[in-house]
Amino acid sequence: MTLNKDHIGGLIFLTISVVYGYYAYDIRMFPGDQFAPFNAQTLPIALAWVGGLVSLVMVATAGRSEEPNPNLAQLNFLLVGKLMLLVWLFAQALSWIGFLASTILFLIVGYWILGERNPRTLFLASVPFAVGFWLLLAKVLDIYLAPGKFWQMVLGA
Amino acid sequence: MWDGIFTGLTTAVAPFNIMMVVVGCFCGTFIGMLPGLGPISAVALMIPITYGLDPSSGIILMAGVYYGAVFGGSTSSILINAPGCSSTVVTAFDGYPMAQQGQAGKALALAAYCSFTGGTIGAIILLVAAPALATVSLSFQSSDYFALMVLGLSAVAAFSGKGQVLKALLMTIFGLMIATIGTDVIYGIPRFTFGNLDLIDGISFLLLAMATFALAEVVMTVLKGEHKEDDVPMDMSSLGSMKLSKEEVKHVAPTAGRSSLFGFLVGVLPGAGATIAAFLAYGVERNLAPRAIKDKFGKGALRGLAAPEAANNAASTGSFVPLLTLGIPGSGTTAIMLGALIAYGIQPGPRLFVDNPEVFWSVIISMYFGNIVLLILNLPLIPYISRLLIIPRPILIPLILFFSITGVYLVSFNSFDIELMVLITVVAIFLRLLSFPMAPMLLGFILGGMMETNLSRALIISDGSLAFLWERPLTALIMSIAIIALLLPILGRYIGLKRFSADSLVVADKGEG
Repeated sequence: MTLNKDHIGGLIFLTISVVYGYYAYDIRMFPGDQFAPFNAQTLPIALAWVGGLVSLVMVATAGRSEEPNPNLAQLNFLLVGKLMLLVWLFAQALSWIGFLASTILFLIVGYWILGERNPRTLFLASVPFAVGFWLLLAKVLDIYLAPGKFWQMVLGA
Repeated sequence: MWDGIFTGLTTAVAPFNIMMVVVGCFCGTFIGMLPGLGPISAVALMIPITYGLDPSSGIILMAGVYYGAVFGGSTSSILINAPGCSSTVVTAFDGYPMAQQGQAGKALALAAYCSFTGGTIGAIILLVAAPALATVSLSFQSSDYFALMVLGLSAVAAFSGKGQVLKALLMTIFGLMIATIGTDVIYGIPRFTFGNLDLIDGISFLLLAMATFALAEVVMTVLKGEHKEDDVPMDMSSLGSMKLSKEEVKHVAPTAGRSSLFGFLVGVLPGAGATIAAFLAYGVERNLAPRAIKDKFGKGALRGLAAPEAANNAASTGSFVPLLTLGIPGSGTTAIMLGALIAYGIQPGPRLFVDNPEVFWSVIISMYFGNIVLLILNLPLIPYISRLLIIPRPILIPLILFFSITGVYLVSFNSFDIELMVLITVVAIFLRLLSFPMAPMLLGFILGGMMETNLSRALIISDGSLAFLWERPLTALIMSIAIIALLLPILGRYIGLKRFSADSLVVADKGEG
């Protein structure tokens, strides 16, 4: 038997339901709540059971699925991985080098990852945009954007 | 009712709110034109901006964006055969052949007029139907609400198309599961937080919407390598005349009227939405057409373009009926609007009509204004707005990514939210590859809290007995419809209704309106 998309999907949701159900029974309650008609565990436990049941039905009926499996070889996971890493690094950079510098770096690296190599385009599509957006937030809308720990350490501000 | 309409009119005609409609329609048209980004992403991208506005202006802006995005989707369908969202897929069937025949201008104008007709008829019916339904629903009890939410969620699964019912159901349950993360609203007990303080308030709906739609859609484009593809350059001079002759207007007028009524009714059904309305209206019109015209369908038939355009706009309006009167979103986009209303501290539902008449009526009236704006402002500007699409994808994609993540960051100022977005986006991409639809998850997530509150009230009143599901006739009726809605696709396979849930009705993703 070959596993198709529905088998995999059903099995993933079955796992999610089992793990969710395990932690649902672990939710702490106030004394006496276990005798109440409804408590903090009621809905999560019901969801875990219904989720498990529907997942099992899906796994059982997955053989009838006519949907083709995705051709993974044609998908560019490496590029997506780089972009997701960039977003994660942007989150880290925000607290260290501040919003403006993080935005400029994010955009330049983002354009570069997607194939843009012209230095003029890289500069013009990032620096003026980031400065304009920062001015809009910080000066026009008066939103406080922390300068970043690095600049505070260097400039002692 | 007239007092309410007057209040709504006063709010909607305030210069700032008119500006919001114009800005919303303009931004929506631009975002909707970008292939892959639909109304859900467009509305989600606007949410951070609306937090700084008062509720009426915020919702008016989002309604404008919604209309604009549907219209923008039609434009890219007609000009480059790349529907911006699933509800405008049918528009490309006859719109793109018209553009290839040098009638792009006429196709765009017809799409705009029919959208206007659909939106106008929809808004007029909404004006009458919404308060009537709101008055009736004032007598609803918690058990009825719980049943209505079950109906809303099961209808989403039922309308999700061939082979998608179980997947949509699982995604709905997944959304409900995510909604339970954080502090329990009834007992104040932390659930599934694993000691992480960042999860104590749960996951914000904005974060989930941005990660599963705006961010995931852009990342899917990169994953499939579509970011390297250049769209066909649009030549403004080849758009042709935007004028329609009297005969052509007479030819399509009945179609636009019929499809508008039909679209509105389909749109009112929770979970059905604009895509199904557009496909069904196209099918109905094709069957009604005389033989000679029927053969032209798919090759540039005016009726083939008019039907889906009128129907999808009327359905977009219709989907506001369950949102405004019952607090149950009829589509993914209205689910996001529901989340935004809740964030404002406004509880949509029958009480909205009584407690916040200015929000209720100004939304309805601004919808009409939105249609006018699309017709008189956006249509003449289309050739110029289209030029913005010339921005290369390697530049556009990081910008969309940036707006999506900063949109979430600027609300919470917590970089943990961006990290969580990355995680959710990765999960969403894998689920999309396995053909799991995202809209039911968002609907489940948004309805989760309300569902739990109503279930707890109903269970406490009935002393823990599930008899509340059938003791009250109204609850029993709604639950019966929910069960039928769920069983319909299964029964359909056996009683020859297979055609109804055709492949084309897969509402899976692509920003189902």
